[in-house]
Amino acid sequence: MKALTLLFILLVFLATGCYEPYDSRIHVRDEVKSDSIIDNVVTRPVAKAFSALIGEGIEVDEAILRRNEAGILELYINGHNRAYSTRRFRYRVEWLDADGLVLETKTSVWLQASAMGKSPFSLKAVAPRPEAVNFRMDTRKWE
Amino acid sequence: MRARTIQIIMLGSILFTGCEEKTTNIDITHDDGKPVLALDYRDFDQAASALVQSLLGSGALKKEGGGRYVVATGRGQIINDTMQRIDTDQLMAKIEEEILNSGQAVMTSAIGSGEDKLIHDTRKLRDAEEFDRSTTPARGTLIAPELTVSGKIFQRNIRYDKKTQQVEYYFQLKLSDAKSGLRFWQKEIIVGKRGSNKSVAW
Repeated sequence: MKALTLLFILLVFLATGCYEPYDSRIHVRDEVKSDSIIDNVVTRPVAKAFSALIGEGIEVDEAILRRNEAGILELYINGHNRAYSTRRFRYRVEWLDADGLVLETKTSVWLQASAMGKSPFSLKAVAPRPEAVNFRMDTRKWE
Repeated sequence: MRARTIQIIMLGSILFTGCEEKTTNIDITHDDGKPVLALDYRDFDQAASALVQSLLGSGALKKEGGGRYVVATGRGQIINDTMQRIDTDQLMAKIEEEILNSGQAVMTSAIGSGEDKLIHDTRKLRDAEEFDRSTTPARGTLIAPELTVSGKIFQRNIRYDKKTQQVEYYFQLKLSDAKSGLRFWQKEIIVGKRGSNKSVAW
C-alpha cells in the first residue's frame, strides 16, 4: 500500500511537467481552471509543500535592452515565479556608462515588485541619461 | 543606610542607561527600517523614481527638430492634499534634477516655483550707474517655458477592519504644452499602507 502511494506521488510529479496549457499566453490559475488527474485538490497541497520544501522562487528568463526614440536606454526584465505563493521583492537598477562607471541618479532606488505564484512577471526600468550603455540589477526580500 | 541608597541609585542609573534607545544614522541606500504609515523619504524616492522613469520613457521630452524644451514648475502647482505637512518642492526637486540631468530638457529659474529672484534683480541694474551696462542682461533675453509641470499628492484613509486602517497616497504629475495647453504626459503612482488604527497617518 505504501509503495502504491509513493508511486502515485511520483507519477503526479512526473506528469505535472508534461502539462501544456491551451495557449501559453493565457494563465488560468488553480481553483479557476478545471481540476485534472494530475492537478487537483488532492495533489495540489503535495505539490505546494514540495515547492516550499525545495525553496522555489523567482527566476529571471531574459533581460532586454533597447534604446527608445529619445535615445534613452530601456531595460525589460522577463521572469517567472516558480513558487506557488506570491513572491514580493525589491529591486534596484543601476546604470553604467561606456567606462563601466555607475551613473549617479535619484532613480536608482529600491523599488517594489511582486509576482503571483506560478506566474510570469515583467519589470521595466528607464535609464536616467543617454550615456547609459549597460546596467546592473540587484534584488532583496521585501520586508 | 546612606551607602545602600547610593548603591541602589547607581544600579538604577546603570540599568536605565542600558534601556535607552540609541540614536543611529539611517542607511538611506539600503534602509531596512520598518515602514511607517505616514509618507517618509523612501516613499518620496520611490514615487519620484517611478515618475521620472515614466516621463523619460514616454518620449514626451523629445523635441521635434532637436534642441531641448524649457520646462517650468508653477508656484503652488504641486498641490498637497494630504493630512501631512509636505513640502512639495522636496518631491519636485528630485524630479527636476533628473529632468535636467537627462539632457532632454532644461528647467527655467525665471518664473515658477524655482524662480530665482536675482534674475529679476539683475535686470533692475540696467540704469544703475555703478554697473557696467554691457554686463547687465539686455531686454528680451529671458526664455519663456514651453512645457509646464503640475501635479497633486492626495491621501485617502479607509477603515480596513476593526484594528487596521488603510492609507492610500496618490502622486499625480502632468506635463503640458504652454502654448497649446495640450497635455503631453501624465502619471499616477499609488503608495498604499496598512497599519494599526492607533497609528496616526500625519
